[in-house]
Amino acid sequence: MPVLTGKELRIVGFLCNWCSYGGADTAGVGRFNQPTDLRIIRVPCSGRIDPLFIAKTLINGADGVLVSGCHPRDCHYAEGNFYARRRLEVLKRFLPILGIDPARFDYTWVSASEGQRWQKVVTVFTEQIHALGPATRHENVSPELLAKVASAIQGGNRVAA
Amino acid sequence: MSRLDALKTRIKEALPGLECVIGWQKGYDALHNTPLFIRGEADVDKLEWGALNVHNPAVYLPSFAGKKVGVVVKGCDSRSVVELLQEKLIDRDNVVIFSAGCDGVVDIAKVRAKLAAAGLNAGNAEKVAVDGKTVTVTAAGKAVSMPMAEVAADKCLRCQFPNAVLADAFVGDPAPQVQAAPAADADLAALDAMSVPERMAFWRYHMDRCIRCYACRNACPMCVCRDHCIAQSREPHWLSQEDSVTEKLMFQVVHAMHLAGRCTECGECQRACPMDIPVLALKKHLNRTIHDLFDYQAGVDVAAIPPLLQFKLEEDNIKERSW
Amino acid sequence: MAEKIGVYIDESSVAPLLNAEELAAYVKEKCGGACPIVKAHKRLSSPDGVAMIKADVDAGELDAVLICGTSPRVDWDVFTFGDKVLVDRVNLREFVTLSYKNPDGSSVAAGGPIPAELRSMVQDYLRMGVVKMQKMNRPNPELPETNRTILVLGGGFTGMNAALAAAGAGAEVILVEKSDKLGGRAAGLYKTFPMNYPYLEATDTGIDRLIGLVTGNSRIKVRLNTTLKLLAGAPAMYEATLASGGNEEKVPVGSVVLAAGWTPMETEALAPFGYGKFKNVVTSAEFEAMVKAGDIKRPSDGKEPKTVVFIQCVGSRDKSLDRPYCSGFCCMYTAKQAILTKDHIPDSQSYVFYMDIRSPGKMYDEFTRRAMEEYGARYIRGRVAMVYPKDGKMIVRGADTLAGTQVEVEADLVVLAAGAEAAKGAPQLAEKLRISYDKYGFFMESHPKLKPVETNTAGVYLAGSCQGPKDIPQSVGQGSAAAAKVLALFSKDMLESDPQISRVDIKRCVGCGKCIMTCPFKAIKEVEFRGQKKAEVIETVCQGCGICTSTCPQGAIQLSHFTDNQILAEVNALCQS
Repeated sequence: MPVLTGKELRIVGFLCNWCSYGGADTAGVGRFNQPTDLRIIRVPCSGRIDPLFIAKTLINGADGVLVSGCHPRDCHYAEGNFYARRRLEVLKRFLPILGIDPARFDYTWVSASEGQRWQKVVTVFTEQIHALGPATRHENVSPELLAKVASAIQGGNRVAA
Repeated sequence: MSRLDALKTRIKEALPGLECVIGWQKGYDALHNTPLFIRGEADVDKLEWGALNVHNPAVYLPSFAGKKVGVVVKGCDSRSVVELLQEKLIDRDNVVIFSAGCDGVVDIAKVRAKLAAAGLNAGNAEKVAVDGKTVTVTAAGKAVSMPMAEVAADKCLRCQFPNAVLADAFVGDPAPQVQAAPAADADLAALDAMSVPERMAFWRYHMDRCIRCYACRNACPMCVCRDHCIAQSREPHWLSQEDSVTEKLMFQVVHAMHLAGRCTECGECQRACPMDIPVLALKKHLNRTIHDLFDYQAGVDVAAIPPLLQFKLEEDNIKERSW
Repeated sequence: MAEKIGVYIDESSVAPLLNAEELAAYVKEKCGGACPIVKAHKRLSSPDGVAMIKADVDAGELDAVLICGTSPRVDWDVFTFGDKVLVDRVNLREFVTLSYKNPDGSSVAAGGPIPAELRSMVQDYLRMGVVKMQKMNRPNPELPETNRTILVLGGGFTGMNAALAAAGAGAEVILVEKSDKLGGRAAGLYKTFPMNYPYLEATDTGIDRLIGLVTGNSRIKVRLNTTLKLLAGAPAMYEATLASGGNEEKVPVGSVVLAAGWTPMETEALAPFGYGKFKNVVTSAEFEAMVKAGDIKRPSDGKEPKTVVFIQCVGSRDKSLDRPYCSGFCCMYTAKQAILTKDHIPDSQSYVFYMDIRSPGKMYDEFTRRAMEEYGARYIRGRVAMVYPKDGKMIVRGADTLAGTQVEVEADLVVLAAGAEAAKGAPQLAEKLRISYDKYGFFMESHPKLKPVETNTAGVYLAGSCQGPKDIPQSVGQGSAAAAKVLALFSKDMLESDPQISRVDIKRCVGCGKCIMTCPFKAIKEVEFRGQKKAEVIETVCQGCGICTSTCPQGAIQLSHFTDNQILAEVNALCQS
């Protein structure tokens, strides 16, 4: 099923089972209105999220990735979200050098009882992605831009040189 | 006694207790040195020391795991050894580190370009003489002098570690520091100056050329997975074998992320690339990020815990967004 | 790797927005090759639904079962079919039908056309579920040791009853109480309103007898002055960190019953009635203590009060205080206190200001009538406007809404029926256990009718007033119900299904030990294998977080049920569409 072109964007969420997945459940049970672009992948802990999952998702054309775990100090596994915070922050700062707008990725913390916070996070993030519009895929990079960067590079194909 | 002779003396002394000593020797032409594996005293005299020792011999150390070996290192190479020790990929009791002050190595590509500018083919190089700040290459009977500063490897221009950070046998006088503080990295500056869409185009442009030879990975002293790299495995199956820019770029992302907090910027990945893809820039950027976030530099302290394998309850430099 | 997946769609989760049969047809069309059986059922978690799946499993047609309906956090113990088949869940209820609204905020009209956004959403989740299942590995028959000790938090009426019920069925119980004695709020009561035949007299609470039974039970370990600091792990494999004084201790437990209780309101709600300003305005708890001591006196001068005014709904049913809820038991204990006042001081007169009399329990209404008719308590329906002192008395001025007049009572003593609030620290405890709580701090059950003592954290149950104000009979009932639920959990063979633990591919492991460094549970050790260093998971210690899996660069250590390949299958299903 293709994404509904023009209406929806592809946003992938990685949610820890114990807090944020529960928070999203709580939002559902509370019937909190949410945008419909997000698809959620359940993981046991934010510490399970290899930043490469996010990189792969974005490089392969997703328009946004949202990660949510337990609040710091409330991790079901005590420390998972602390590792996650470091890894995810490094990734967030790495994305722009790959040519991916860092605003396409965010990570946050939502507890199982915070249905309303989850609603807000999803809504704000989805609006943010819609403001950015669909992500450019590598095959769609414009010839003009390609020519520009190619001519910017001189002998030896080094970046600067 | 020259640094080279002093190194040879120390290696000869230690050799009886070692499986082998890894260093450099003359290569197939005057311009190239290649790795040397010293197994007997006769091999010691093949050792070279100087501006053509571009390889990082630390890359071979994990394959000698369990055996006692020696390794001759430049300052930058020693950081790889430190990193391997820190990660317990090699055993301190099983490695003897020989080193001397390093005055920098050349970038063969730059030398090749200089020769080409003088109308010469690098393949005809007959003799290379390095004298302080000048490199003189003789090719087809004609000598071309070039300032070291113009043909040195990029990393040498910004070198902070001309002397080994860890050595069992350090010979001769320490080499002088190139400069007090490293100049801004030109590659990063160039990428920083681009817009985000331009950077995507940049990688599209470069990764298009990638032939998936994995030379970048095989040259990397920190890529210890070797036969079990996730780029080529089915369990787990991270990458397809499709020759697409996204899959090829994804591999570079895998390599860079796996090196986050571990890469010493020895530059072997980029040097080894037969397609001249500037893959080191990704690692440089991550190193800058790691340094900004965690005030950490890889390969200087065997006892340090890498930043991604630890955490603080309150991070000093991570500002989380509010909703 | 699952190759023959039975896909079951729960109609009760998707209706009326979506048609379960249509979803089944979609799965057959898109994933039919991997899914020989695709069925819809009215309610999969019903005995009939489970029996239907079980029949297919027993017929040997399947190697995996995919339940598409409620969240995997719900009914997690219902869908277990032994170790022959893999089981996974697709959340179509909480994530799709419950949370879906049209982009313009409107609800979907039942029976109308299905919006494209909704269709796309449900189809994505179904495909993700199937591809993830296809990458799931076969269960491992090796089982970790399980623990069936029950940790009861709260040594009040509810907690003690839960502990006794569980211990009576042979379970080992650890009863943790944060204060220095058992009994909870009931220990402060002189008597309770009648709870047994002939339902006429206020009766002894029975708390002392209960404490005796608990402390005398060899299966119940009572831990006073103790709190829960952390709960890690999974049902039958939890590890509770208990803090007592400055000491911490890690205790293995199988499940948790929460009976954290309630606390009487002590806030600004009492101030308008002069509490804190005038000595002769007391709370009902303070009055109860006087009765219990057999010494009903005015605090100001120690004289016996002849006129006592009880004011109900102080801090209850009050939107201006953000306490709109009824505290439930105040009507009954106020009637009891009016009766006890007459018992102790025969020439006294009680007045009760009330909003409504809420006495729906068995024989409760009869009891409040006795307070009025036999004990002469005067019930005045109306709110009290002000309480002020005059000539050594307290003047209580209020409305009598039935008579349509203002009333003034000269009282010797004013008793405020302060409302019930969640126990202090309840939200913090809920966060530790990852269960939901409402804005007042009361814990939320899984479902008010279907799962009243269960929470959405597997293996954690709740009982009593921590969920909302309850009287003693209700609390006892819930304590026993929670114990029964835990025992039912332990009676199942769900503990024999494949545990969610990490496993090392010894060929891929290079022995770098990064997983050992990051494991929060020290569940990975270094071993020698043919002269090489390798990592090995201690299966009984592994809690299944997967930090190791995302730490290992060569993917040599994989968390079962959440392997790289499973997550990548989901990512690919979403990105390649």
